[in-house]
Formats: sequence, structure tokens, C-alpha cells
Amino acid sequence: MIDPVRNSANEMYDVRRTSGSRVMRHLLVVLFWLAAAWGGNVQAEEKAETEAAQKQQAERHFTLNVLPLLKSKCFACHGEKADDVKGELNMLSRAGLLEGGESGEAALVPGKPDEGLLMAAVRWDGIEMPPKENDRLTETQIKVLQKWIADGAPWPDAAAQRRHLADEWSRSETNDGVIVPTSGGLADEWTYRRYQVDDLWAYRPITRPDAPWSALPDDAARHPIDAFLQDRLNQAGLKPAPPADRAVLLRRLTYDLTGLPPTPKQTEAFLADDSPRAYENLIDRLLESPRYGEQWARHWLDVTRYGDTSGFSRDDPRPNAWRYRDYVIRAFNDDKPFDRFIAEQIAGDELDENDPELLIAAGYLRMGPWEHTGMSVAAVTRQQYLDDATNALGETFLGQVLRCAKCHDHKFDPLPTRDYYRLMASLAPVQLAERSVPFLPQENTTGFDGRRERFQRLLDEAQQAQAAIGRKEQLAQRKWLEDRGVEIGQGGVAATVRKLPQDERPPRFYGLDYTDLGVQKVLRKRIEYLQQMLLTFEPYALSVYSGPYRQYSSNKAMMPMPEKMTGEVETVSILMGGSIESPGEPVTPGVLSAAAYPLRDLHQDGWGELPESTTGRRLELARWIASEQNPFTARVIVNRIWQHHFGGRGIVATPNNFGVTGKRPTHPALLDFLAAWFMDNGWSIKKLHRLILTSAAYQRSGDHADMAALREADPTNELLAVYPPRRLTAEEIRDSMLLLSGELDLTMGGPGVFPEINREVALQPIHVMGSVAPAWQPSPTPGERNRRSIYVYRQRNRSYPLLEVFNRPGSETSCERRDETTVTPQAFALLNSQNTYDRALAAAARIQQQAKPKSDQIDAAFRLALGRAPTENERKLCLDHYEQMLAHHREQKPKPISPPTEVLRNMVEEMTGESFEWTEPLDIYAGGTYVADLKPWAVEPETRALAEVCLVLMNSNEFVYVY
Amino acid sequence: MNSPLSTSRRSFLYGLGATLGTAAFNALLNDEAKSAEVNGPLAPRAPHNAPRAKNCIFLFLEGGPSHIDTFDPKPKLARLHGERFTRNDKFASAMASGTRYYVQSPFKFRRAGESGLPMNEEFEHLAGVADELCLYHGLQAESINHPTACYHINTGNRFGGDPAIGSWVTYGLGSPNQDLPGFMVLPEAAYPQGGAANWSNGFLPAFYQGTALRSTGSPILDLLPPEGTTRDVQRGNLDLLSALNRQHQQKHPHHDQLAARMESYELAYRMQAKVPDLLDLSREDAGTLARYGVGEKMTDEFGRKCLLARRLVERGVRFVQVFSGGWDSHDYIERSHRARIRSIDRPVAALLGDLRQRGMLDDTLVVMCGEFGRSPDNGLRGGGMAYGRDHNAKAMFAVLAGGGVKAGAEVGATDEIGAAAVEQVRPIKDFHVTLLHLLGLNDNKLTYFHAGRYKQLSQTGGELIEELIG
Repeated sequence: MIDPVRNSANEMYDVRRTSGSRVMRHLLVVLFWLAAAWGGNVQAEEKAETEAAQKQQAERHFTLNVLPLLKSKCFACHGEKADDVKGELNMLSRAGLLEGGESGEAALVPGKPDEGLLMAAVRWDGIEMPPKENDRLTETQIKVLQKWIADGAPWPDAAAQRRHLADEWSRSETNDGVIVPTSGGLADEWTYRRYQVDDLWAYRPITRPDAPWSALPDDAARHPIDAFLQDRLNQAGLKPAPPADRAVLLRRLTYDLTGLPPTPKQTEAFLADDSPRAYENLIDRLLESPRYGEQWARHWLDVTRYGDTSGFSRDDPRPNAWRYRDYVIRAFNDDKPFDRFIAEQIAGDELDENDPELLIAAGYLRMGPWEHTGMSVAAVTRQQYLDDATNALGETFLGQVLRCAKCHDHKFDPLPTRDYYRLMASLAPVQLAERSVPFLPQENTTGFDGRRERFQRLLDEAQQAQAAIGRKEQLAQRKWLEDRGVEIGQGGVAATVRKLPQDERPPRFYGLDYTDLGVQKVLRKRIEYLQQMLLTFEPYALSVYSGPYRQYSSNKAMMPMPEKMTGEVETVSILMGGSIESPGEPVTPGVLSAAAYPLRDLHQDGWGELPESTTGRRLELARWIASEQNPFTARVIVNRIWQHHFGGRGIVATPNNFGVTGKRPTHPALLDFLAAWFMDNGWSIKKLHRLILTSAAYQRSGDHADMAALREADPTNELLAVYPPRRLTAEEIRDSMLLLSGELDLTMGGPGVFPEINREVALQPIHVMGSVAPAWQPSPTPGERNRRSIYVYRQRNRSYPLLEVFNRPGSETSCERRDETTVTPQAFALLNSQNTYDRALAAAARIQQQAKPKSDQIDAAFRLALGRAPTENERKLCLDHYEQMLAHHREQKPKPISPPTEVLRNMVEEMTGESFEWTEPLDIYAGGTYVADLKPWAVEPETRALAEVCLVLMNSNEFVYVY
Repeated sequence: MNSPLSTSRRSFLYGLGATLGTAAFNALLNDEAKSAEVNGPLAPRAPHNAPRAKNCIFLFLEGGPSHIDTFDPKPKLARLHGERFTRNDKFASAMASGTRYYVQSPFKFRRAGESGLPMNEEFEHLAGVADELCLYHGLQAESINHPTACYHINTGNRFGGDPAIGSWVTYGLGSPNQDLPGFMVLPEAAYPQGGAANWSNGFLPAFYQGTALRSTGSPILDLLPPEGTTRDVQRGNLDLLSALNRQHQQKHPHHDQLAARMESYELAYRMQAKVPDLLDLSREDAGTLARYGVGEKMTDEFGRKCLLARRLVERGVRFVQVFSGGWDSHDYIERSHRARIRSIDRPVAALLGDLRQRGMLDDTLVVMCGEFGRSPDNGLRGGGMAYGRDHNAKAMFAVLAGGGVKAGAEVGATDEIGAAAVEQVRPIKDFHVTLLHLLGLNDNKLTYFHAGRYKQLSQTGGELIEELIG
């Protein structure tokens, strides 16, 4: 047995490494999991009703509950710093509390919890202590103090405290909760603290609950999901809504699985299909559609933060990032087993570095923003990367917010800061590289030659302009040297200058004016940019390898694999307070120790240690994450899938946070059932879709006979008595408009494409360290521009206004769930922008080709936009509006507008503070390859008038909400 | 989250209403419901403590303005000028490593006003309002790279993605004018390093995002429809939209979002009329325009923005942030800082004078600073003598004026060469806490539950810098 009396905090780390303590802690592990699995409830020891025993109880309460609370909440300001005791209240002793602080009033009066300032302060009644919202005492904590004071506020001596602790720490589970065995906190109080069993739900093994079949009415179809949901509905006395209308269901399902609405033909076919398997067939058809992978990859890329550029100040291109995006789409379309999908992304390069697909998959580890410039500190950049990769891993796969454990042991979850750094150490060999990976037959490389030529031409032009400025400088320098009689030596002017002492050289930038200086800088960055963009067409993958630390620079066009690896893999140490300048104890690679037991089975020992070898530790980490015994992984992914089928809310409403501070599962047994079912079915996401989509719950109406009562009983609809509506996502809105207008190009994959965006934003200057980023020029042909939104080039530092206002998340942090706010800029973007107007115009032209009578045109517009015919009244309203608009458009013929062929850049040259101008060529518009979309001046007034009606339909609530 | 049942009736009474879906926000609304007549996310809310100022104008000088060449003269550098030393430090950037030379300031300094505050003689007009200013020399940043440092001072978090200070303030106080955003930003045509994330709402609801009034083109993107769409056409479209939406709403009477979205179109229509009027500086008299330097090449751009900032605050915008770029003077600091200083000198002085004259200065907190300061040394890259300075996170300046600020005071100090702050040394989070405090907000109470914890501007809490408060 461990002897906590000698086990002071200072000795803790040594003691923990002795075999005795390990045995003890393993016993705790066994007890913990047994207790957890059986849900056992150890009875508290019977109390002896003697005075001595009461005193012991009160002292014990102080030692176990009160003192740690005071330590964590009060002592820092009230006693620990002897020369700075706030309010002159020293709380380090009972005497200090009895004496009180500057107010003269006692902080506490033994036996009288309603008196004294301490209780008033923690209740924020008159004074507010601790002052921070984050530190504020919970009700339970307040009661802890209250009880202590009521019992006479005893303060036992150190020996008595140690005795109580020894006793306490020897029990795995008491009425106060359970001790969770971990690799150990920075202090014993943390290591041996207790958790409420319910709070640890995500840490407990995934159970295999039977569906509560008896909850279902006799005549209901036997579907396990419905049984679980019905069970809670019964408890609440609620009846579920009837099945949804078939047209509503078709639209719901088609959007959920493909991100697009059903076409009028598909609608007609489904509504006419009266076979009993019509719905199942529809699910199968949609799951087989390539559109499915595009839609669900987008969800995954929200979580992994996909971008085609690197963010921060340079926002350099990541010319090969698209290969990871396409890999994710393929993975969903191929229904790659999710455990394999995990392993490939975390450790594809270690699985098989000769398999191109796997090197591309490892691009997952490159998805966060990253840069290293001459102005950043290399050690800081590296630490930022490791922090980012560690946090991302926790949120993406484990549903754990690890960031909190960077600076201290986690305040709520059993995550010691040691585990954070152990996990980081398992990523310490990760080095960033562009790896040579041949293009795969399934990758889209069409048009590469033409695009390569374009960038090469722009590069040549920029280099020529740059050389001209260099020649101007050299000529001036030559004259300067000649004027002073300096002989031009071998290697010419530049070499001669270099050989001169500092104070005999010509002044810096001699012979150049401030425009030259500014343009020179602009061209230097432009050349770097174009060189990077040219790599789009070369067979490289944005990837990683395992090896010792390498030197980084983002100025380089790319970072190839090093020719040879030298040095050691970095040792990771616990950073005290999270500060890179305060490294503490070194750690070895490992997993989250509170959930380590699958690995313990493998290794028979330790806290989920991973191999310390350079290669292999990451693969082992991936295996732990993708293990059936990992308590988080399957729960996290089934929750994400569920969320996107039920209006954006998961069974756990915080998909990236399954910890104490996250939301509890609304249906914990269902979550476990789904997780186990998912693993039993080969981690197949498509099978999981089928299971969810065939439930009655998914097929329910959004309306209910007694909505008022339902609202009262279940205000947030967590019981899912009705199906929750959702707004289309930003990408779904854009893609649907393109589908409606007939312009959508369904080509898959390949480097990012450039649609027309708001022209002011397209041409807006963006600073890039003293220079300006190139303008956003559209892809030349409508086909390329009007691809699905997932293929749009994702430039982190340039907004795509339409997508951004409709809550497309930023790409800095992992997005677990998109917001659905309604703000006025959405109205500006959807009603006023040239881009939506162009879509409406194309739709009108398309409709006019198909239908001649005006009322047929209105009908066609409704069918395309809303999937139904208009009502009599709607048709009349639209026809009236059409006539009014026609009158207007006959009067007013729009003037043609030509796109700009260049853009003037007005900048301040940083070195001189002078403004200068530079003209950026817009070669796409200027070069003759650009094919415009249909424009208002190219069509008849009738088309423009119908376009107004289409524009209104695209703005309607019915268009943007799914029921 | 989008439940047909979850939205309170209140949320669609006003145009900006929407699904917020967080307990914290709803709690905030509920607290307010007792007193406020106006509801919605931008409704005015009671401060935490007695505010010293009601509004804030934050003049952000992007690029790292040099404290040594503006408000913090270092005569000792004249003696050290050209002296060489070597720096090798694991925690120094490549830019700051290797052979270094001390460089003196090329500027002359004066003591201005009755309070005798030091400033570069180029601050000809600002000197006239010196007694309104509080100079702070103790502030320290934590990053020497532009984007991370910009994110830090603007959002409290070096890595971006968190709410900007203006978002926090409007989240905390709401805004007196419901027809304009509560937080407006006047950037340069080129956005600062790190882009629009510098005025992002982060994890706060989108209503608190900084709305950038673009300095060229349409002030708000797509504020107006394409050319040729008259206001009548637009009204006609909106009427049809409204009719269709009403019919749809009858089929879905329990879906509260429908009303909010309908109202957002009507608010958009009203804004189309209001915003151009707001931006129309021709309503200002000639004397005012001249005082701000509008129409003069050097000062026109920043002068217009300062004047616009006053107009916005006057109309009840809670927080206005104005950007001035180009302060990153690695070389030729004499020319580049002179030009930058002249571009802001007259406008800032005019802004303070104008606010004072209109009786608004006591209600308005004016802040001016950059993301970090500059170094007393450089690497004299290239060997020429047209010297400048590199980045320095350990020393910088901040200037405050207006409501609650200790006017005419100099607080804190840097060492004798301006390498690091040595008196009243405080991190940015303390500065943030102080700015919030002056506006009546308590950083520890201005929280929002996100990703597992109550987030706050200071990230982990900070201390008030009492010395800055008058």
C-alpha cells in the first residue's frame, strides 16, 4: 500500500516510479473499471456516533475538502505572498481567519456559518471572492465551507492531515466520488481528487446496451434508434410527430446526403414510386452518388481546418493541399472504414511510405495555420506547431479539449498536464515536408499544362521586371565606384561592393528611388508566390515524416525531404505554466492515461506509454485512437454523423468536447449503442447513415399536433418528438443556386478553383509583409468557376463574402458545429450582389428555353427552386411582379461593363514612408481566355424580368430552410 | 443548433434576432429584459461598474510604431550610436540575432503643454492638446511577429479566432443605435496583417462582429444592388419576397427563425438609406474639415477616418477602431516615421479638440497604440547608413485620452535605451482589463462560455492599471 504520509508533493514523482506504488495504482485501476462497469456503489462506512468520531469527521472534511479549496481559490492572494496580502487578510491559519482583514470583521465565526465575511464573499454577497467568473465557487463548494464552519471550523495539524489523507487515498471509491488513476498530476491533491462517476461518462468503456424494445408501441417498426428515443418520450409523456410528407422527406434526405436539392425529375420519380422499398432505394442511390463524398468531406474539413494557404501574415500558398481534400472525398465515397481513415491521417507515412495515398492522407497533420519567418522565433514556431497538432488531435478524434492541460492539470477532467505533454511527445518526431508523391489515376490533373504555362509566363515577366531594377542599381553603383576610383574587380559590381569595408560601400539601394524600392519588394514576393503556385502541378504532397528537428523557413517555395537526417528527436518537457521558457520535467511519449487501458493490455505495464523510437510512436498512437477499446473515438464520430442528420445538434451538443465542461449526452445509452454497432459493422459510416436514416425519428414531420404542449415539455426539442429544421449551409446555398441556374459543373477534384466573388473583395489589396497579395482572379471559364463550393480555393486571409456571411467558419480553429445566425449582411449578399443576380439571370434564361407561356415559366422556376408547383395565389403574385419588372426593364437597358484588365496598387513603401504605385496585371481578364457568365446587357428585357422573380425565390425562406 | 422550439419570442421582435442557442447569451438577455425597452442582441445593457466613458475610439497604428522616436526620447542612444554588439539567444528571431548596432533617434524632442509630456517635435498639433493625454511606457507585448502581435492587442489571443475588444465591449454594453452595428472599423484599403480576424466576433454571436466601413468602393459590401436596380424595383422585389415568406410562415407557424430572417431584409433596406448619409462629410463645415486635415495630401485619409469616427460615436456606435498602416520602419526611419507622424498628427489633435469642444471627450475613451515598439538597435542590413529599427515586444507606447484617463500624466518608463519597460511593467491583458474598466466593464464578469470554459478578453484574468486612471 502506498504511504501518503511520506509521499509529499515533492517526492511524488520518485515515489510514483517505485514498483510498490505502481501496484497500488494498478489496483485502483482495476477497482475503478470494475466499479464503473458494474455501476457499483460502495457503501460509506458506518459512522460511530461518538464525539471523537464527529471531531475526526470534521477534521477529515477540512483536510480533504476545505483545505484544497482554500489553497486553490484563496491562498494566492491571502497569505502565500507574505509581502502582499490582499485586504490584510491572511488565510493560511485558523487564527488569521478569526482575526479577519482590514475591515476588522472576522472572516469566520466557528459554529456560525451565517456570520463572518468569508461566506458572504464566496456567495458574492456584498463582496465578491474569488473575483473571477472562472474561479467562482460552485454551490457545492460553498456548502463545503459552510459545513466546515458549522462544525466549528477545525484546523488539524500537519500530522493529522497526513493521517486523513493516507486513509482517504487508499479508497478508490467513496460517496464523494471515484479516484481516477492517471499518470499523475503536478500535486497530490490533483492526483487523488475524486470525480463524480456521471462526469466520467466518456472515459468509461463503451457499453452494449440492448434497445428498450418494450418502449415502442406494438404496431411500430422495430428500429433500435426509435426504441431508445421512444423510451425517453414515454417518460416525458410525449407523442412523436407523424411521418413527414414524402416531398419534404426527399428534400431533407437529398440535402443531408449530398448538399444539393433533388431535381424536379428526381422529385417526380420518387413521388411516383410506390414500391415499399422506395425510401431505402433512395438512400442507397444517394449514398452511391459522388456528391455524397463531397458533402460529408466538407463536414470533416470543418473539423480539420482545411485551407489552401498557410494563414498568418504571408498566407503562402499550399499548392498541394488539394490532394488531401480529394483524399477525404474519396475516403467518404469509398466508405473507407473509419478506424483505417484515422490511422492514415495520423500516421499514413508510417503505415507505408511507398503508398502515395497514405502520404497524402498524412496531410491531416499539416492542416493548421503555420508560418516561420525571419521575424518569428524558431523555438516558438515549433512549440506552436506541436501545441496545435496536439490540441487538434484531441478535438478531432477524442472529443477532448486538451488545451486546458497545457498550463496546468485539467481543472475538471482527469487530464494531467503530464498527459498533454506525453501526447505531444508522441508527435515530437513529426517534421513538415513536401514529399514527392506521383499523381494517382483517380486525381484530377486535367488542364495542368495550360495552367502551368500561365504561371510560368507570369513568373518570367516578374523576373524580367526585377532584373531591370537590379540593372539600374548596378549601373548607379558602377558609376559611384568609378567616381571614387574603385576598380571593378572579378564578379562585377556586386562582388566588388561586397569586398569593400562597410563604410566605403555605396549607400544601400543606391540609385533607386522609392518606387523602385517598393516595386522591388512587391516583385520579390510575387516571384515567391508564383514559384509556389507552379508547384501545384508538380507531384508533391503536403505531408510529414518522422525524424529529428529540421530548420524551417516559409520563404522557401517548398520544403522537400532532407537529404539526410541528423540530430536527435526533440525531448518534450512539461512546460511550467505553459511557458516555453520554463521547461520542467521531461516526459516520454504516451496517450491519455485515464483512458490508456487498451494499450496497457498491449504493454502490460505503465500508463499507455508509446515506443520512444523515432518512427513507430505515432503509428502506435494512431492504433490507440482507432482501437475498439478507446472509449472516445467511436462515440465521437457517431455523434458527429448524428449531428448532421438532426438539424446540427448531436446526442452530445459539443462534439469536440466530451469532458465535464461539455454537454452531457441526451441519450447516453443510444450513443453507446450506436458506437458499438458502428464498430461491429466494420466502422462503416455508410452503414451508420442507413441505420439512422431508416429510423422513424429521421422521417418524422417537423410539425406536431400539439406544438404548444411540446414546447412546454421539451423546449429545446432534445427528445426529438419533431424533426428539427435547419438553414442551408453557406456552401449548400451557393451550390443550390448553381444547380437551379443550370450552371453547376460537377467535375470532381483537382486544385482549387476561383469563382467570381464580389469584385471589390477580389481586387482588395492584402498586405503581405511590405508587399501585396495577388488579386483574386476568376478561373477563365464558367465551367471551372461554377464547380461545387468544396473545390473553391480556400485562401485563409481573403474573404469569400457570400460564404462567410452565411457562417462558413474561419479556418484557424476546429469547427465542431456551424452557427446559424441571421444578420443583415446576408440580405445584402443574397439580394444585392452581382453574383446572385447573375445566377438568377442564368436561371431565367434556362427556364425561358424550356417553357414559353409565362405561367409555365413561373411554375418551372418554383419547381427548380423549391421542388414544387406554385399555388394559385403565388403564381398570380409572381406573374404580376413579372409584368411590373418587364415594364421597368423595357425602359432601362443596362450598360455593358467590361472587367478590369489591371489594378493599380497604391502602397506606402515601408522603408521610406513614401507612397508609390504599382500596376498589377489581371491577365485572366486581359488575356482573351476569359469567358463571362451570362450578363444582363446580353439578354432581352423578358429574361431580366424573369430573373427578378428567380432572385426573389433564391432569397425566400423556403429556399434556405430544410424541414 | 436549430430547434423549432428553442427560440424565445423576444428574439424575433427585432431585426437582428436569430438563433443564439447559448445559455450565457440567453441569460444576458433575460437580465436585461427587466429594465430595457429595446430588446435584441444590440440592446443597451447595464455596465458592471460606473463607466468613466461610454464609447471608445481606438486608433491602431499598425506595423510597430517606435516609442523611441515618438514619445519616449532616449538621449543615451546618441552616445551609443553605431556601437556594435552580438546577440545570440534561443528566444530571439533571426531578424534580431547576430551583429547589432545601436542607433540614435534622428528626431528632436520637446516637452509639450503644462504637463510637459515628451514628444517628437514633428507632433506639431498634438503638442497643442498634450494636457489631454496620458502617456504610458510600461506596456509589454508577447510576440514580435506582426500578425500574432496584432491579434494579441486586438483580441487578447495571439493566434486569432477570438473576439476583438470591440466585440467584447458591444457584447457587454450593447449599443444605443439599433440601426447601426455597435462596433465599426475604419481600415485602410489594404487590411492589416492578419486581416479581418483583427475585428472578428470570434466565438461571440455574429452581431458583435466589427463592421468594416471600407475606405474605397462600397462602404459595406453589396450595400446597394447592381446598377440599374432602382429603389422601386428593390421595393417590388422585397414586397414579393415578403408575400411569399408570409405564406410560407403560415405553413410553419412554429419556426421562429422565419420572422427574424424576414425582418433582416427590411433592416437592410433601411440601412441602404442611412449609411450613405452617415458617410457624407460634406455636411461638416469647412473649418472642421480643415482642422482634421481633410483635403491635404498628407492627412486626408486619416483625417477623414478620424472625423468619421466622431460622427459614428455621435450617432451611438459604441466602439470605433481606426487603422493607420505603414509603421514598420526597418530602414530610413527618419523619413518613414516622419511621414507617418505627419499623417496622424493633425487628425488626432483635431479629433481630441473636436470631442472636447462638443462636450463628448469626457464620455469617449480614445486609445492610440501599435502592436509592439521598436528596438534601440538594428543589424544595419546591407551596410548602408539609412537606418531604422526592428521589432521590440518588451517596450512600446500607448496614448490614452478622454473619459476616466489621467490626463497630462506620464506613467511607467522604459530603460535608458528603450530596450525594455522597467516601471509599471504590465502585459497587454492588464491593459485590456483597464480599457474595459474605464468603459464600465469587469473583465472577470464579461465572459462567454465556449469550448469548455468561460472565455474572457484577458484570457486568464488581469489586473487593473490604476495609475492610468484619473
